[in-house]
Amino acid sequence: MRILLAEDDTLLGDGLRAGLRQHGFSVDWVRDGAAAARELRAQPYAAAVLDLGLPLMDGLDVLAAVRRAGITLPVLVLTARDAVPDRIRGLDLGADDYVVKPVDLDELAARLRALVRRAHGQPQETLQAQGVTLDAARRSVSQAGQAVLLSTREFDLLQALMLSAGRVLSRVQIEQQLYSWGQEVESNAVEVHIHHLRKKLGAGLIQTVRGVGYLLARDTVAP
Amino acid sequence: MSVTPRAPRSLQGRLLAGLLGAVVLVWGITALITWRDARHELDELLDSHLAQAAALLVAQQSHGGDEDDAPGLDAPQLHRYAPKVAFQVWHAGRLVLRSANAPVDPMVGAAASATSRPKRHADRDDTDQRGLNTDLRTVLIAGTDWRVFSAVGAERDIQVFVGEQLQSRQAILWAVLRSTLWPMALALPLLGGVIWWVVRLGTAPLRSLSHSLAHREPLALAPVAVVDPPSEMLPLLAALNRLFERIAAMVEAERRFTADAAHELRTPIAAIRIQAQVALAETDEAERHHALRATLAGCDRAARLVDQLLTLSRLESGTAPAVAPLDLATLAQRVTAELAPGALQRQQALSLDAPQPCIVAANDPLAAVLLRNLIDNALRYSPDGAVVQVTLRRQGDRVLLQVEDSGPGLAEADRDRLGERFFRVLGSGQTGSGLGWSIVRRIAAAHGASVGVSRSAALGGLAVTVDWPAAG
Repeated sequence: MRILLAEDDTLLGDGLRAGLRQHGFSVDWVRDGAAAARELRAQPYAAAVLDLGLPLMDGLDVLAAVRRAGITLPVLVLTARDAVPDRIRGLDLGADDYVVKPVDLDELAARLRALVRRAHGQPQETLQAQGVTLDAARRSVSQAGQAVLLSTREFDLLQALMLSAGRVLSRVQIEQQLYSWGQEVESNAVEVHIHHLRKKLGAGLIQTVRGVGYLLARDTVAP
Repeated sequence: MSVTPRAPRSLQGRLLAGLLGAVVLVWGITALITWRDARHELDELLDSHLAQAAALLVAQQSHGGDEDDAPGLDAPQLHRYAPKVAFQVWHAGRLVLRSANAPVDPMVGAAASATSRPKRHADRDDTDQRGLNTDLRTVLIAGTDWRVFSAVGAERDIQVFVGEQLQSRQAILWAVLRSTLWPMALALPLLGGVIWWVVRLGTAPLRSLSHSLAHREPLALAPVAVVDPPSEMLPLLAALNRLFERIAAMVEAERRFTADAAHELRTPIAAIRIQAQVALAETDEAERHHALRATLAGCDRAARLVDQLLTLSRLESGTAPAVAPLDLATLAQRVTAELAPGALQRQQALSLDAPQPCIVAANDPLAAVLLRNLIDNALRYSPDGAVVQVTLRRQGDRVLLQVEDSGPGLAEADRDRLGERFFRVLGSGQTGSGLGWSIVRRIAAAHGASVGVSRSAALGGLAVTVDWPAAG
């Protein structure tokens, strides 16, 4: 999952980027509000972690601008401002979660996962489709009760498809969701990962829509 | 002499006691004067009645002849007061007429020989126009005090005594006194009640004030309001409310400082925590080292922030620092030497130009903090390889300390805000709390020095000038 981190403090930003990477997120780190607003409009992030006291543009202004632009991604506000009016204002401006520093890394990751899940209408920590179960917290996948070992990229790709189950994701969309800045994306990387997933989980799980992208069919829910 | 602490007396009690005491005193004096006046007038009146009666008896005896010789003929009792009044009529040494309650002996001892009159008890002794020898005295008859008027006829053989029991006069006087004192005895409790009520009404604003003060939350510092306060209380209320205002401002400043400080500490603590968690979970050795180094850097930053907060809080407590003559040039050498190694690491050129001693009245540790903050700020906010120049000059009775750098400088709007607590220039890429500037400004203010921020003409970056009054 690719997220945007907006934090102007060098030490904290560096730590958050490293920590969230450990939890399987791809992290783009910006250090000022203007850059945060720009990137959020330009890239399809799964979520954003937003500090409020940002240079050039306050975090709350970034939030308001992003919401005005119709971008609905989950935003977690991470700040030192803990007064109740601040929290209310943040939530009213469109923040999905409000976390006061200092924060536990595991909790922050769990909150981010929950935000992303809810944004996709998924109330549970595990995703299920076509007999495949994906546990986002433990980063494990099983099929018919059998654990399946996936690489990081394969896991992220499967998670992206399962979160968007029933919708077609283009190759570019998948690349944008998987890779943060500066990461080399080989032209056929997505195809390679899809190929591996099909080998490990069965050819029928992921369908190719020629000229458009890939689709993981949603379980048909009994009426 | 030891003073034993007394329980405070209530204002209401004092006023009540004082007012009632004054009323009783005035009333008592009035009663005394009334009593004296009444006694005097009563004596005059009743004495004149005695005289009148005596004159009547003398006249009757002189003209009535001696035909009625029956001695001791009792006059009829006509009034309930009669037993208290007595008379005797003597004719040529013989008792010719007396009232029933009159003794048989002459009422005044020397009556028989009217020539010798004892002066001892005589109140009045004169001869009136009709030739009567009259005499008024108080005598003891059968254990009772009588006021006796004696009159001797012109022929000197008629002697008349008219007496009245003194007791009856006293009874009248007491009656007069009673009639004066009774209303007072009745009115006193009533008056006490009224005074109590009026005093209570008058001190109501005081009680309202003490009640509202007593029932206040310890930290409630809103102005005290008293409904319809008397003018005497206005200065007290104003002083009290001014005090509350000052305390509220102090508490608010303190609260804001604590809140700001806590906020400022949150970010380094968050960084330390996150970096430590990253280090714990990291398997890659190089990444783990990086996270651990970052954790330590976070600790250093938090420690520096705490130091700055403490310095600032001491400066803000408002106590004037102890100052002594101090050579700023020597101090600048020391501080520059301290900071030089760090500057060298970043290939920054730090130099000091202080050709002569510059004596100012300053507190050594505080002046060192000021210098360190200024030079440290210049180094911190300038890029690697920058130039930082410290200059000290005497100009007349001033000492000018200037710290210039070749860094990016500051926008004018940011320059104006420097020194606001926790204001820091955003996007500088440096970790700082903005406390350094607050500290510099406060230390300068405590020494009567002024701080100016401008663009360095020589180096292009920021130039900070501290203008001290020179000493000696």
